[in-house]
Amino acid sequence: MSIGSPDSTVGVEEHPASAEPVRGAATPHGKSPSRIAFDRLRKDRVAVTCASIVLFFILLAVLAPLLTKLEGQDYSTFHTDLVDEFGYPTIGVNGSHWLGVEPKTGRDNFARWVYGARPSLIIAFLATVVGTIIGVVMGLLAGFLGGWTDRVISWLIDFVLSLPFLLFAIALVPIVESMRGGSFNLTPNEQASIRFYVLIFVLSFFGWAGLARIIRGEVLSLREREFVLAAKAIGVPTRQVLFKELLPNLVAPIVISASLAVPAYVTAEAGLSFLGVGLVEPIPSWGQTIAVATNWFKADPLYLWLPVVGITALVLALALLGDAIRDAFDPKTRR
Amino acid sequence: MQWKRITAVAATVMLAAVACGSPSSNSGSKGDSNTLGGAQVKATDPTAKGPAPDVDGAKKGGTITVLSDVTPDTFDPTNIYYVDGNQIGKLFYRSLTQYRLDGADHKPVLVPDLAEDLGTKSADGLTWTFKLKQGIKYQDGTPVKAEDYAYAIKRSFAHELYDAGPTYQQQFFLDGDKYKGPYVKGGDNYKGVETPDDHTLVIHLAKKFDDLPYYAAFPLFTPIPKAKDTQKNYEQHPMATGPYQVSSYQPGTELKLTKNPSWDPNTDPVRHQYVDGFDFKFSQDLIKAQRQVLASSGPDANALNYSNLDVSLLPEVKDQSQMIKGASPCTIMYTMDTRKIPLDVRKLIAKAHPYDGWRKVAGLNPTDDPPASTILPPAVPGFDKYELPGLTGTGKGAEDDAVAAEVKSELAKIGKSNFELSWYYSIDDKISTQTTQFRKQMFEKAGFKVRAIGVPKAKIRTFTGDQNAPVNIGKSPTGWCSDWPSGTSWFPVLFKSDAIGLGNSVGQLEDKALDAEIDAVTAKAPDEQLKEWTKVDKDIMEKYLPVLPLYYSQSNFPVGKNIGHAINDPTQGLPEFTSLYLKQP
Repeated sequence: MSIGSPDSTVGVEEHPASAEPVRGAATPHGKSPSRIAFDRLRKDRVAVTCASIVLFFILLAVLAPLLTKLEGQDYSTFHTDLVDEFGYPTIGVNGSHWLGVEPKTGRDNFARWVYGARPSLIIAFLATVVGTIIGVVMGLLAGFLGGWTDRVISWLIDFVLSLPFLLFAIALVPIVESMRGGSFNLTPNEQASIRFYVLIFVLSFFGWAGLARIIRGEVLSLREREFVLAAKAIGVPTRQVLFKELLPNLVAPIVISASLAVPAYVTAEAGLSFLGVGLVEPIPSWGQTIAVATNWFKADPLYLWLPVVGITALVLALALLGDAIRDAFDPKTRR
Repeated sequence: MQWKRITAVAATVMLAAVACGSPSSNSGSKGDSNTLGGAQVKATDPTAKGPAPDVDGAKKGGTITVLSDVTPDTFDPTNIYYVDGNQIGKLFYRSLTQYRLDGADHKPVLVPDLAEDLGTKSADGLTWTFKLKQGIKYQDGTPVKAEDYAYAIKRSFAHELYDAGPTYQQQFFLDGDKYKGPYVKGGDNYKGVETPDDHTLVIHLAKKFDDLPYYAAFPLFTPIPKAKDTQKNYEQHPMATGPYQVSSYQPGTELKLTKNPSWDPNTDPVRHQYVDGFDFKFSQDLIKAQRQVLASSGPDANALNYSNLDVSLLPEVKDQSQMIKGASPCTIMYTMDTRKIPLDVRKLIAKAHPYDGWRKVAGLNPTDDPPASTILPPAVPGFDKYELPGLTGTGKGAEDDAVAAEVKSELAKIGKSNFELSWYYSIDDKISTQTTQFRKQMFEKAGFKVRAIGVPKAKIRTFTGDQNAPVNIGKSPTGWCSDWPSGTSWFPVLFKSDAIGLGNSVGQLEDKALDAEIDAVTAKAPDEQLKEWTKVDKDIMEKYLPVLPLYYSQSNFPVGKNIGHAINDPTQGLPEFTSLYLKQP
């Protein structure tokens, strides 16, 4: 890593390449590396576009109840009078159903689409936050303390990384359900929300190990540096060394890993729901809709395109944004 | 006979759309009852002889692949009771009798198969004698002996072991309620069957059973040599008498059939041996399999699927000749446990049930799939369509706000506000979860409380099959098909008190008066029964209402472009496999 501690310019001078174009022209001395990275990001047109797309979806998810109210529909009511006897919608896009209705059930497409953004984003962000926190703490402890702690944590990381993700995700649902009292005592809504939390758990459980391994490596190289040795020498408590001295130097790998994890989790959620082991009705989700809509792609293309466009745009924007963030924080990778 | 898709039906009702009905009208106008029915007639031809007349233009050779989304539970001849197991079994098991499909409309006619005739009844109707054909051999060349038939019948009494199989022998045969099969001590001595010489089989009954020749068409009556009986493993290497033999069987995945060299066409009035073999692949994805078959590219032209075409694939049917259409003897029903739901409430459920909307959500195809108003389907002889008000298989039910409000106030009037309705559905099946949500919304709108219990699709049959399950709606059987063209394979099996113990009860009725009424009709001569069954049908619906008939299932299967003589067998509602051939082998 090429970034020095935030209150020192030593690191920057040691690696002139890292800040060379920016510092030479526009950036005055004294800006923090994060600030520098953010400035670079703001000038990156791709990053700005992607950020606004992500923001758009976040707003969509947050404002879903408001938007559907505006439309006058909700996502769960069946309108079987709006589909013909074969199940094909009899109406197209109109004033009361902005994006038409689902085949067979006649539920409102627009409402299901905006509500469908919610589980994707909530699951992806929550799983990222939880996974990142655990990963950073474990990585810091393993790297800094060394010895037995390191060995135990490293073993744990290897263990988690070797577990089969998909099998685990499938197997966990019935186990958690039986812990909650078995499917007999659960309503469909409760079963659906159990799946929701199981997904968050599974994704973060499998997400932390990779990050922890990266952080551990970083810490191993950082802990022999002068500022850490100095802090240790003057008797700064371990906790303070970890979180005040080391952590700020790890912002870059953390941000990069998190920003790349979010789109991966969105895809994972949709994929699991598509396979039928993720979210289930009545929670609307894009993955589920895609699974059903593939049968209708000839008869009712809009039904399939909505969730596909949603997921593609969101994941693409998140992924490009993640790339841009990595570039901004780690200028050596700039092309 | 249980409907092949019973697992799915129980909760899902149907993965697919449904069949085209009316053989006489291709456009099939909705609810046109005149075009329904009459497919199954009680016709017999005791003198039929082999070989079966050749199919025009039939060629020999090639292998037909059957891509199936449903999985038959067993191929043990004693244990087969689902229609698809039965139909596939017909390729390698020959029974005492069999159906021949006659004429342009493929009318089923009961003919002798391994027997010389359709059995002779003694004066008191309690002893049946079947003359057996001579010179029949198993696939390994060993001759079929008379005691093999007797052994197969004895074997069918081991109901603990073969728990899925039909149970008429226990109800009608001599000592049927006491005899426990050949595996228990002293099991060889059963007085119900006798083989006085090498070409005679005598069956003794406890009570009159004039439909025995029809029952004798079940694979349960195929000869099984005692020395080869490996009990539960018998289906792996069964002794074949039909034109094909089992080459390999992996339960749940694949069944491969090859030609049986010992089969003699001159003894068989029904079957052909045109193709070299069959390759059944089970547990396929429905939509994918049907799309493959419709597209018929490459080897898929030699493939067929025997589930009804999914409604979403309708735009992909370019060539109507690729669809096998026709009647099937099945009714799909919405069952209510009469022990748990009082009659007043059942009537209100019937009023609130949103038939029209449900049909759309379930993906039923209206032109192919007639709404049901009776328990008996039109294919059963004597069927007489009647419509009780509000029980026509159509209507908006609680989707109509006025009806919902009315039901709600009537519920309150009889003091049953918030009456809890509960049923199982498969949580990992999209259609099942959607119909459940839909019904839940509608019933709640009408003032009921709903508890829907999600269980994995793979296990739902175990749950709905339990007659004493802690739910009050949707216990199986929720779809029933005739075992033979008569009401005797419906009412005594489904609505008598002892049906609960045999695991086939619809509505769990325990009513002495109804038992007596059914018994009285059963005792009559077959011809007199016809009209009587319709009366019983109407009585049950009027007085007891244990079930809401939903629709009559009919056939509408896709076949590959290279397959010839693909016709619907109205006795099973499935393709007739034994006369299929490949146009270009």
